[in-house]
Amino acid sequence: MKEIIVQIEENKLLIELKKQFYEKEAVFAAAYKFTNLCSIIIEPTDDYSIGVYFQLLKDNDKVDLEKIAKDFCNEVLDQQVRLDLEKRYGNIKNLIVQQAFNPIKNLKDSINE
Amino acid sequence: MNENKSKYIVMPFNFKLFDNEHVLLVNDAGDYYFLKTSDFDNLINYKLDKRSAIYQDLNSRQLVSDYNDIDLSIELLSTKYRSIKSFLRNFTSLHMMVITLRCNHKCRYCQVTSEVEEAYKYDMSPETARRVVDYIFYSPSHNIKIEFQGGEPLLNWSTIVSTVDYAEVLNKKYKKNLEFVICTNLTLLDEEKINFINNHNIAISTSLDGNKFLHDKNRILRNGKSSYDLFIEKLELARKMLTRNRISALMTTTIDNIDKLNIVIDEYIKLGFDGIFLRALNPYGLASKYVNDIGYPIEKFISAFEEALNYIIEINIKGKRFIEYYTALLLKRILTPFGTGFVDLQSPSGAGIAGVIYDFNGDIYPADEARMLARMGDKHFLMGNVFKDNYIDIFNGEVISDIVKKSCLDAMPGCATCVYKTYCGADPIRNYLETKDIVGHRPSSNFCKKHMGLFDIILNKLKNNKEEEMNVFWSWISY
Repeated sequence: MKEIIVQIEENKLLIELKKQFYEKEAVFAAAYKFTNLCSIIIEPTDDYSIGVYFQLLKDNDKVDLEKIAKDFCNEVLDQQVRLDLEKRYGNIKNLIVQQAFNPIKNLKDSINE
Repeated sequence: MNENKSKYIVMPFNFKLFDNEHVLLVNDAGDYYFLKTSDFDNLINYKLDKRSAIYQDLNSRQLVSDYNDIDLSIELLSTKYRSIKSFLRNFTSLHMMVITLRCNHKCRYCQVTSEVEEAYKYDMSPETARRVVDYIFYSPSHNIKIEFQGGEPLLNWSTIVSTVDYAEVLNKKYKKNLEFVICTNLTLLDEEKINFINNHNIAISTSLDGNKFLHDKNRILRNGKSSYDLFIEKLELARKMLTRNRISALMTTTIDNIDKLNIVIDEYIKLGFDGIFLRALNPYGLASKYVNDIGYPIEKFISAFEEALNYIIEINIKGKRFIEYYTALLLKRILTPFGTGFVDLQSPSGAGIAGVIYDFNGDIYPADEARMLARMGDKHFLMGNVFKDNYIDIFNGEVISDIVKKSCLDAMPGCATCVYKTYCGADPIRNYLETKDIVGHRPSSNFCKKHMGLFDIILNKLKNNKEEEMNVFWSWISY
């Protein structure tokens, strides 16, 4: 864990994530969940990594920033699993809604598209 | 689909780690399942044995599907999804009319900041009321519920009478399912009014915050005296004269009664109510002004709710049927495929498309809270006025369009992937109040925290599956 969490200064941390494992959508969705506690900046640190900078909001000085960072690590993993699953079930979700309100003539064909 | 045909298809669902040992899965049709974390890993890595009981359970809920049955799974999910979203086929059916802003009470948490009893300029005139009723009957919905609100609506009784009479005459032509509700503190009720209520089959919704001590803490008459004794006197009169027991009550949780909800529940049972709606304080009007005196952290409400729910369940187990209505509503969403039509918890929001409120002067807002916001000086949600704008411009206007577009949970940050999305809804008015943006900010939203907490409590009970508790829950949603 220590390798990816870097203390930059008091109340400011950097987490580096590998682009190979985490997509932008997952990183943004995970970061959003902590925006009540921190100001967050996301930017690439090099061609292979994404840097997520956490700085505590002024009125949150009692919050443990390292705990937030660790929770973020689990959250980004959680969000990436959601993205991966969404890719696997592909267009099924859209077909369910479409079939509910405007039944599709050849459902099987649409599934295989 | 490019999955190997010998394997299965993982169907769409949202999930969360529920406790250290279980992952909760919920799909868009509302089917849920608790999986051990190791089984969840197996599921998403296609290692579940298709002959196992777990696979069969997941398959029966369309959380997975055999490759060959995928079209059937989609059909089943679509049918359930259509039922859940059936409220979209019915346009606005709940029509609230602010009969007057005058009130004989001065409750500390009054959300509309009511006016003194002599302020007649805040009455809805019979002419305005007739115009409002004309607009109400323009609604394509076959079900029309007209709810008289205030202030204290009984202070403008003549407008209520003329509105009911006019609506019933109009309905001879339109033939809709027409219902009336009066939201009243009861204290101005008399025999003449009860006779009218009987003759027109009007339901009564009132407010009760607990025993005399707790009720009078916040619900005081404008002269500063107790309202409890008068409330009891009129409740007894109503119970004696009403031909149908159509009185329900709402309570408001403040810092004064949050640790004494068992006393509040006992009072409801003593006074013959069939259930209670444990309702948190809403941050509008005086409730916003005095939040430091009567408010509390939302986490405190969630724990008080859980304690009160357990108390109510015990009462039921001992043989007295008594419902916690909000739990019953959420259970119906979780355990049945039927829509509940609760305008405050829909996706897209029911504000405007399911319910609407007409202010005393004919101004129209998509929700009671939007009217409260206007009383606080912000008319962002004003849809129009019955004298100035036509029906199409009002109900096809920018306010409703904006609300619908921005209150679909599937498109809201933090909601789209939430495990409780199927059971939950959006509150664009509250979002706007808190953030000046109707999409809102979930990480800091008390609405979100409250509902996540309540869903956790209920789903935990469903996971534990204690027979006595489940019997109580099913009895609540079978009424």
